[in-house]
Amino acid sequence: MEQQIAELTEKIAALEAAQAMSGTINSEIFYWWCTALMIAIHAGFLAYEMGASRVKNVLASGIKNILAFAFMVPTFYFFGWYIYLAFYNGFIPAADGAAGLPWDLSMGPNLADNATGIFWAAFTLFAATTASIFSGAVIERIQTAGFLILAILLGSVVWILGGAWGWHPSGWLTVKWGYHDVGAAGVVHMVAGFFALGVLLNLGPRVGKFNPDGSANAIKAHNVPFTITGLMLIIVGFFGFLGGCIIYMPGEQWINIYGQPTTLSAFAFNTLMGMAGGIIGAWVKTRDPFWMMSGALIGIFCAASGLDVYYPPLAFLLGAFGGFVVPMVAVKLEKMGIDDAVGAFPVHGIGGLIGVVACGIFASGYPNVIEGAPPVNFFGQVGGAIVMGLLGFIPGYVASYILKVFGLLRVPDHIQEKGLDIVKVPVEAYPENFIPGPVNTTDPVATPAE
Amino acid sequence: MNTAPLQSWDGAEAIFTFADKPAVVMLLLLGALAVTVGTIVVAAVHEKHAYSNHK
Repeated sequence: MEQQIAELTEKIAALEAAQAMSGTINSEIFYWWCTALMIAIHAGFLAYEMGASRVKNVLASGIKNILAFAFMVPTFYFFGWYIYLAFYNGFIPAADGAAGLPWDLSMGPNLADNATGIFWAAFTLFAATTASIFSGAVIERIQTAGFLILAILLGSVVWILGGAWGWHPSGWLTVKWGYHDVGAAGVVHMVAGFFALGVLLNLGPRVGKFNPDGSANAIKAHNVPFTITGLMLIIVGFFGFLGGCIIYMPGEQWINIYGQPTTLSAFAFNTLMGMAGGIIGAWVKTRDPFWMMSGALIGIFCAASGLDVYYPPLAFLLGAFGGFVVPMVAVKLEKMGIDDAVGAFPVHGIGGLIGVVACGIFASGYPNVIEGAPPVNFFGQVGGAIVMGLLGFIPGYVASYILKVFGLLRVPDHIQEKGLDIVKVPVEAYPENFIPGPVNTTDPVATPAE
Repeated sequence: MNTAPLQSWDGAEAIFTFADKPAVVMLLLLGALAVTVGTIVVAAVHEKHAYSNHK
């Protein structure tokens, strides 16, 4: 009898160990595929930017976007992950953040750690998303080196600092103010949008965008269908992004990044309803397919902070509101003499702002799980939005000003007129159906090696 | 040539090939940093060169 009990106990222990390992591996698999889907965001931004560029700049825009992705990975390994783990109290690093240093035993293949690499990868793709958001705003006139420095600053420093403050179980914005932003409307979209605005003020418009009297000329995208398809690809990727925003707890209910219980179903309802509202709102306002697909993104961002708690028709209405209003912000921006080539600030900055503030209005009172932390509240959300806006804008403005002083920011006007591809890229985008731009074909061919 | 940092999988945890000593970890890390920063410098130089070729 005793032997049978011992055998049974052994079997139960083995079963429990197998179940625990199965849960661990399922969790790893979940974030693996979320990361893979998020690469679709980058692919979408790539198509979007190249389509929005003129023929003479198509490949230069693509190169810039691809390089942003490439530089985000090592720099997020070098210091981005550490910033997230260490700076949740503000600007003073916490000791437990050392687990994110690149020489820590968790920062590489480790048979005792199934979590770090997969979370690092997901966060690296969030970083690449912020860099892509910024990348679109500055097409056709930013220098590559200056762009890379700014993209690294945004993707591997600035947004992840916002993430540590407001998208971390112990982030000070959540613990002290009750900030709630499950879908990263503030920490990703506002930060990236306001960063882009700060850079645009120093970068200036594309040559030919504005007339001497201040009136604006339309600089048409060379391939609107490509741009629209890119935007749809971004939506696909956002299902990876938003899936990566919640935490798989083997054997238990999902939790959001703040430790509150949630479900993927909640995210599915509100993401789709927000997206649909955004498309409709933008269509009613503009009748423009470019803005309809941008409206889909706006709709998601407007619902993003409360994806875990909204009643889906509310997400739909928020999306419709954002989709209707944000295109007007784009028009206003242009009237102010700011050339945001793809509407990055209105779509992400203002769309994210609506999302963060709406959560304070419609989701106020939801309790925090951290003892002593205030519940979700309007002032916490407004304060959080101000922090995110400043966190994006100030570094973007200051760093781009410094780059401007050193001549590393803006492509000279005469090069813009020729086109960046013929100057910097050793291949042509459309060699068999070339649409000639205002270039002198007797000039030397592009300098290779970029 | 045997570069594996372990002889058995029993009890194996962190596996950092070529990086089983702190000095080597730092060397590889600094090498990766140098490539990252160096590429930005190269990009700036290439760009100036390209612009000067197209006065």
